Amino acid sequence: MSQIWSRAKFFFAGKRRSEMDEEIQFHLEREAEANMAAGMPEKEARRKAAIAFGGRERAREECREERPSWSLESVWRDVRYGIRGLGRNPGFAIVAVLTLALAIGLNTTIFSLLDQALMSALPVKNPEQLVVLSFAGASPGHTHSNGGNDAGHRHEFSYPMYKDLRDQNKVLSGLIAAASTGVGVTWNNRAESVGAEMVSGNYFETLGVQPAVGRLFTASDESAPGANPVVVLSFDYWRTHLAEAPVAGKTLLVNGTPFTITGVAAPGFHSMVWGRTPDVFVPITEQKVVEPDWDFLSDHNSYWIDLAGRLRPGMTAAQAQASLNALFLSLRTAEFTLQHDQSAKARAAFIDRAHINVDAGAKGFSPLRGDVQTPLTIIMGMVLLVIGMAIVNVASLLLVRAAGRSQEFAVRYALGATSGQVLRQLLAEGLLLGGCGAAIGLLLAPQALHLLIHRMSGGSPDGLPFTPTLDWRVLLFTLAVTVLASLLFSLAPMAQFQNPKLAEAMKERGGSGSGRSLQFRRSCVALQIGFSLLLLVGAGLFVRTIENLRNVDAGFATDHLLAFDLDPQLAGYPGPGVAPVEQRAIDAVAALPGVRGVGATNDSDLAGNGISGDVEASGYTPKPDEDFDVELPWVSNDYLQTLGIPLVAGRHFNVGDTATSEKVAVVNESFAKHFYGNAQAALGHVVSRPNRKGTEATIVGVVRDVKHESVRDPAIATEYTLFTQAPKPAGLTLYVRTWQAPEATTNSIRGAIANLDSKLIVGNPRTMTKEIDENLLAERTIAMLATVFGGLAALMAGIGLYGILAYSTAQRTREIGIRMALGAQRGTVVRLILREVMVLAGGAVVVTIPLAMLATRAVRSQLFGVSIADPAVYGAGIVVICLVAALAGFIPARRAATVDPARALRTD
Amino acid sequence: MPPSADLLQGTLDMLILRSIALQPEHGWAIAQRIQQVSNHVLTIGQGSLYPALHRLEYKGWIRAQWGASENNRRARFYALTAAGRKQLEAELANWGRLTGAINLVLERI
Repeated sequence: MSQIWSRAKFFFAGKRRSEMDEEIQFHLEREAEANMAAGMPEKEARRKAAIAFGGRERAREECREERPSWSLESVWRDVRYGIRGLGRNPGFAIVAVLTLALAIGLNTTIFSLLDQALMSALPVKNPEQLVVLSFAGASPGHTHSNGGNDAGHRHEFSYPMYKDLRDQNKVLSGLIAAASTGVGVTWNNRAESVGAEMVSGNYFETLGVQPAVGRLFTASDESAPGANPVVVLSFDYWRTHLAEAPVAGKTLLVNGTPFTITGVAAPGFHSMVWGRTPDVFVPITEQKVVEPDWDFLSDHNSYWIDLAGRLRPGMTAAQAQASLNALFLSLRTAEFTLQHDQSAKARAAFIDRAHINVDAGAKGFSPLRGDVQTPLTIIMGMVLLVIGMAIVNVASLLLVRAAGRSQEFAVRYALGATSGQVLRQLLAEGLLLGGCGAAIGLLLAPQALHLLIHRMSGGSPDGLPFTPTLDWRVLLFTLAVTVLASLLFSLAPMAQFQNPKLAEAMKERGGSGSGRSLQFRRSCVALQIGFSLLLLVGAGLFVRTIENLRNVDAGFATDHLLAFDLDPQLAGYPGPGVAPVEQRAIDAVAALPGVRGVGATNDSDLAGNGISGDVEASGYTPKPDEDFDVELPWVSNDYLQTLGIPLVAGRHFNVGDTATSEKVAVVNESFAKHFYGNAQAALGHVVSRPNRKGTEATIVGVVRDVKHESVRDPAIATEYTLFTQAPKPAGLTLYVRTWQAPEATTNSIRGAIANLDSKLIVGNPRTMTKEIDENLLAERTIAMLATVFGGLAALMAGIGLYGILAYSTAQRTREIGIRMALGAQRGTVVRLILREVMVLAGGAVVVTIPLAMLATRAVRSQLFGVSIADPAVYGAGIVVICLVAALAGFIPARRAATVDPARALRTD
Repeated sequence: MPPSADLLQGTLDMLILRSIALQPEHGWAIAQRIQQVSNHVLTIGQGSLYPALHRLEYKGWIRAQWGASENNRRARFYALTAAGRKQLEAELANWGRLTGAINLVLERI
């Protein structure tokens, strides 16, 4: 033990100096003795001995260099030297560190979002064992999808299929099911609508999620339909909405039905589907309470639940797929006997073309992931450009600084420093800058992340599944980027100092730099202009996109319009009572002061969703294999007038159209054109849903097309019918047209609805403009960030160019002095320098434009109403970058031109 | 700093190891011995002797101990360790092969 200790001490401390001294002293004396023995006088003997030995200090130094920890020590020395060097030039150090901090901070922020969305595993036990199930094959009947499907991968299964797969498979240690929905929850007499997930009883157990309070569900909580009115709360909901009250065993109303709270899920857990943030979990067997319209539990033809499984230890996804596929096909074969259509074609589609997919599911199946992938990748691409900018920027600053140090380096070489030592010194300085930048960047990143998430979610506390924390993957990435960037920019000055010729370096003092370093500086300038033009063009395109989207004519006025959701079923109203109370609510809100009109629909506008289906139109023979879906909103009498959708033919709905009167429909122009050729011809025809009784309605009017799902999408054929005449109850979105600012009416609306029934929930009141904005989340975020990046790029380019130009202009002081002595005017001198800058900038621009067009092709899917070669965007970008370049060149040019020629000539 | 122009790279280490193979010696005596035995053909630059001794010590091939010199003064004596002995054997074998090969070439060509 003591030996290890002494060795360790030896490693770091080496021999003590006194020991070394004593040894050397002994050597000298022994040498002197030997000399004296050879007959020299003592003084002479000592002198000879000292000469023979050489420099004592050098011997000591060389002994020290043999120590194993020497390299560590020299690194420390380099760092200290670097700190001193940077301290001598604080302006440079601050600009460089801030540039790097901004770039690295941005990079960390965006990468963290990317990491959370695309790379992080779910916060559950052994996520690598999780698999996601999907299938291919016909799915006749009803599908309730939340997106994320593609050819051959349908993620929704029926409940009977789930139970059979769960109970009969031999490859999974657990198979779980979940379906996302919304419910009305009443707690302490306060009603609100919240997100919910219907889950299988083994959901939490299989995922390995622990309770924070009480207990979570077990398999016994999923027994018979309606038999287990129990609910688990998400941690966030419990914390923010129930103030962490003791809840286990308490009762809470879900859609008016009492449910017992069993517990609260662990913090950090949201759902097996990434992107879902349900507030409450209920057993899947309570489907009838959660979604009273549905009866899915026993139906083989209702596809509505997402499945995920946990592989048994040692099992691979491929093995599981082979085994599950056999089971799935035998179940499908049995299921086929229950289908209406028993034709061979149907059989082929249902069984022969069916198979099950078992895919790795550590990250969880997620439709949202697909939505955010492209925008995040684009943003990350822009961030990498910003990083590239920062590297070139710092490199050029270092280059300028290094140029001023050429004599220092020449002296160091002259004193015997090797290229390696100089390189190490430069690297130490670079890493020092990078390290400081990264440290500040990492400090800023969580703040930036918080701000960004807040902006993206439009200020609402829940909704987006991002957290403003950095995990190890992000830190590792930041470290890698920092080191790489530092290496790149710190090596830049080496271009100037590698293999230096001392005499030349000394001579170079007044010259304009060697050819190579001049070329390097020019490349830096060109790169900076190129990078920033790329970013400016990107920013321009995305800003144009968001402007275009905001200014799209929806077909109706979107201002002074307040929307809120009303679903009496969430308050426990039975089916037949729903429409009357909705009508009363509409009337009550319409009677409020300041309200111009109220319209309601079950198919909210410009909110990114739709309700559509096929129809049969009298007097129209569909083409063979025609598959034409029509938007089918159920609306209130005043809906079309309130939104201000102009009438083209016939009449609007009116008060004469009631629940008991003749069923009527209003269609839009696209509908009329598709089925009847023109608006007039459509009037009087009857439209119905195939195989659904009670859906026949006579067309009484035709209205202008309006945008429905989003402002991006073109208008689609639409058939409006009245919700009072609809075959079943539906939750509505009410649109309130106001005289004043729409937000101001929110409270009086809440009052009016509470007056009607305090259990009714005014869901998510928002203005139409905000709704559109929320619908444009990706575009808005990209535009905002692109603008920030573009501005940053221009700023960095300005700083970098200024640095380089200030230096190279100063180098030419003598030349300028000669020119002026020979009669050049100041203006001529300024023009001379500016012309060089602009020629360089022009060259960079010409090279960058085709590259920009190539790069922007990749983002075309995210653009709207703007060409990737939009001349205005490119023009503006070029003007900005040329202005920046001109300004960066003008200041040093002016300074050079004001120099007194006599003095300039006398320098050196 | 290379040892002496006369010494091949790496041979200084071998010479030092060899000269303390029989008994521990201090630095001055090592230099003297090499010089004498080689009839003053090989002179050890003293600036390179001590760094070499340090290097060998850090490698664990030799061990230093304070002891009394021939004239009864405190001096640092260097002795071979087991690892050092093995290293010396390896270097001698290598040296033998090398010189043998060079001799062969010189004689036969």
